[in-house]
Amino acid sequence: MIELIHLVKNFGDLVAVNDISIEIPAGQFFCVLGPNAAGKTTTIKMLTGLIKPTSGAARVCGIDVQKDPLEARKRMAYVPDFPFLYDKLTPWEFIRFTGQLFQMPDAKIRSRSEELIERFHLDEYLRKPIEGLSHGTRQRIAISAALLHNPDVFVIDEPMVGLDPQHARVVKDILKERAEKGMTVFLSTHQLSIAEEMADRIGIINRGAFAGVGTLDELRGQSGSDGKLENCFLALTAEAAEAPAG
Amino acid sequence: MDDVAAKAAGPSPMFLLLRVSLLQSWRRLAAVRSQSRLLSFVIFGFMVGYVVLSFALFYKGLRFVGRFPGLGEVLTERLLFLMFACLFVMLLFSNLVIGYTNLFRNRESTFLLTCPVSFQTIYRWKFIETCGLASWAFLFLVAPLLAAYGLHQNAPWHFYAMTVGLVSVFIILPTSVGAFCAINVARFMDRRSFQVAMIGLALIALAAAAVYMKPEIVQEDIEDTRVLGLMDRLLVRTRFAHYPLLPSYWLSSGVVHWLEGAVATAAFFFLVMLSYSVFFGFLSFTSLGAIFYEATSAARSRGGVFGQWEWFKRRSSRRRSLPESDGIAESFLKLFVWMNPDVRALLVKDIRVFWRDTTQWGQTLMLFGLLGVYILNLRHFSNQMVNPFWIHLVSYLNLGACSLNLATLTTRFVYPQFSLEGKRIWIIGMAPLGIVRVIRTKFWLAALSALVVTIGLMLLSCRMLNLPADRTVFFSGVVTVMTFTLTGLAVGLGALYPNFKEDNPSKIVSGFGGTLCLVLSFVYIVFSVVTLALGAAWWKVQEASGNPGAGHLAVFLAVSAALLWLPMRLGTARARSTEL
Repeated sequence: MIELIHLVKNFGDLVAVNDISIEIPAGQFFCVLGPNAAGKTTTIKMLTGLIKPTSGAARVCGIDVQKDPLEARKRMAYVPDFPFLYDKLTPWEFIRFTGQLFQMPDAKIRSRSEELIERFHLDEYLRKPIEGLSHGTRQRIAISAALLHNPDVFVIDEPMVGLDPQHARVVKDILKERAEKGMTVFLSTHQLSIAEEMADRIGIINRGAFAGVGTLDELRGQSGSDGKLENCFLALTAEAAEAPAG
Repeated sequence: MDDVAAKAAGPSPMFLLLRVSLLQSWRRLAAVRSQSRLLSFVIFGFMVGYVVLSFALFYKGLRFVGRFPGLGEVLTERLLFLMFACLFVMLLFSNLVIGYTNLFRNRESTFLLTCPVSFQTIYRWKFIETCGLASWAFLFLVAPLLAAYGLHQNAPWHFYAMTVGLVSVFIILPTSVGAFCAINVARFMDRRSFQVAMIGLALIALAAAAVYMKPEIVQEDIEDTRVLGLMDRLLVRTRFAHYPLLPSYWLSSGVVHWLEGAVATAAFFFLVMLSYSVFFGFLSFTSLGAIFYEATSAARSRGGVFGQWEWFKRRSSRRRSLPESDGIAESFLKLFVWMNPDVRALLVKDIRVFWRDTTQWGQTLMLFGLLGVYILNLRHFSNQMVNPFWIHLVSYLNLGACSLNLATLTTRFVYPQFSLEGKRIWIIGMAPLGIVRVIRTKFWLAALSALVVTIGLMLLSCRMLNLPADRTVFFSGVVTVMTFTLTGLAVGLGALYPNFKEDNPSKIVSGFGGTLCLVLSFVYIVFSVVTLALGAAWWKVQEASGNPGAGHLAVFLAVSAALLWLPMRLGTARARSTEL
């Protein structure tokens, strides 16, 4: 599970994240939406421990990301929108390397990766250098490597960038299956359709704070608009935009 | 997660990182086989050429200095101490810059920060990587020089083994200090203020060096002992290299004493260096990792340092409230009323990019600043240079130095210009301006901007050497031709060998086209200066004017024209057929 407790982040004068608090229980598929520069990526960076919050705390499975970073990171996986991969390695070498960093025994790396490789259709690329692969293929490799150690919390930023519809479907299916088995998914995206289709709960961030959080029905209630998520999103972000900046 | 929670006895993260790094390095090396043979040949030739040339030059220099009556040994030793002192400072800066980039601007660091790898391990890994990256060039520079020194002094075989040991221990110190500075820079400074501070510091150091090393006019009454007096001053001014707390002093002393057979003293200096390296290395290795995370978070979390100051905030908000103005560059270019608006827009864009990239103008300022200080100092010598031989020689050497500086800048900054349009190439490529005019505009902008500096420096050089008007016109003309040729070479080859995938200019330059550009520029400069100097033949003919004959001048002009025209033609032809 994920807990964000009064999370604040300032960049000089700019308040990028302004007192965000939320609890996402185990097994929930949570989508975070928001306009550009709303504070989504900064929230993710604090959650994954890439930056320190100005105040507040982020917890993963009850472990404070700042106080016990190693334990927190063992339970987590993070895939950014442009993931880092070692260009001169092959996909298999990279997946194995990631598994070893997570202290997995070789036999388990092999058995776990087999399923992921098959589902992401990576077989034909396994022995080719990563540097020659397309962005979509690299994204599939990064997601496979991140899922290898069965994380309790999976944080992913714009997962569908560069993915073809077939593999976008695979990602959605795998994440949904894992969520059903107890993995908490924290997904940031601009594609409202993904949130509409996949999320158990949606958070809309605007100007560094949640403008609305809940299921689609709850968001409709909060925004006072009917129908699509797009209407709720526009209504909530417009309201917040009119309000004085925090 | 179950796997991770259960402790598995796998390889340590440090071992894994080392293995991956070695594997990647090996594959990069193996990839040389598949790259252009010409490129491999050029790079290999350049490396071997450097080693041979630097060895030969240093060996000859040592022999020359060693023959100096009475002072040969002292001067040779001082030369060694000076060399290591200068290289130590260079290594320190190089470690600071590489360490900062490696720790805080590196995607691998970000990736590792999300894995269960301790901050200490990430820091240690980056420390080792920085040490290797920053020191290999030092080792490459220093190896032929030490070999020459050893050979000159008839050193036994174990001298070379000992120097390897001394140098290996030595490089840990600048890495430790560099890492300490990099971490604290990240904690307390943003990138822009760091760059500005570095350039400011470098300029202050330059000014201080210019004052410290300022030549003094030798009085007539001591003409008889002039050489001894000069040597004495030289030794006094370079005494700082013998400061006993300088690590370069320990290294140099170790080398010198080992050569003299004073094994115990050499061992003493080795142990001094070892104890400092172990102490600071251990401190850095074990303690800095703890603040690495704080520093990395600070580096990623900071608004601009200027943003903390009230006057800057007021200025920014005032500027925001004003309508967008043209800016200085655009206003200036509007004075050229005949210029097409699209050409003007491209020029304004390129000028703004140059101005906002601190690295570009910082390095330009440093290189030409150094040359400017040197040329200004010539006024102290010109009073003493009554012999036309030296005046002619220095004037041609100045031409060479000015062109070499320009070649460094054209290769580093002008060559990647076309490639840097990268993914944006379609914007200008599809514009009515046309890709060929884009290349020509870039050529004219770079050539004319460079010309202001190169002609300025040549005029200054001629003035300082009190050259007559005809020779001033000659050198100004020559440097103008060379500026156009070097710029044409860089722009043309840049368009001929574009690399649109890469955003990093140094990586673009390190490709085949960049290497070729650098080599051709250097060869062209050496060829031009030697041809013109041979044509002038002032050392053979008494009362020679110092200007070359028509034949040599014609050869120089023909080669310059060919090196300007051919790459530009090939480059524009290639660009015309580029699929956007």
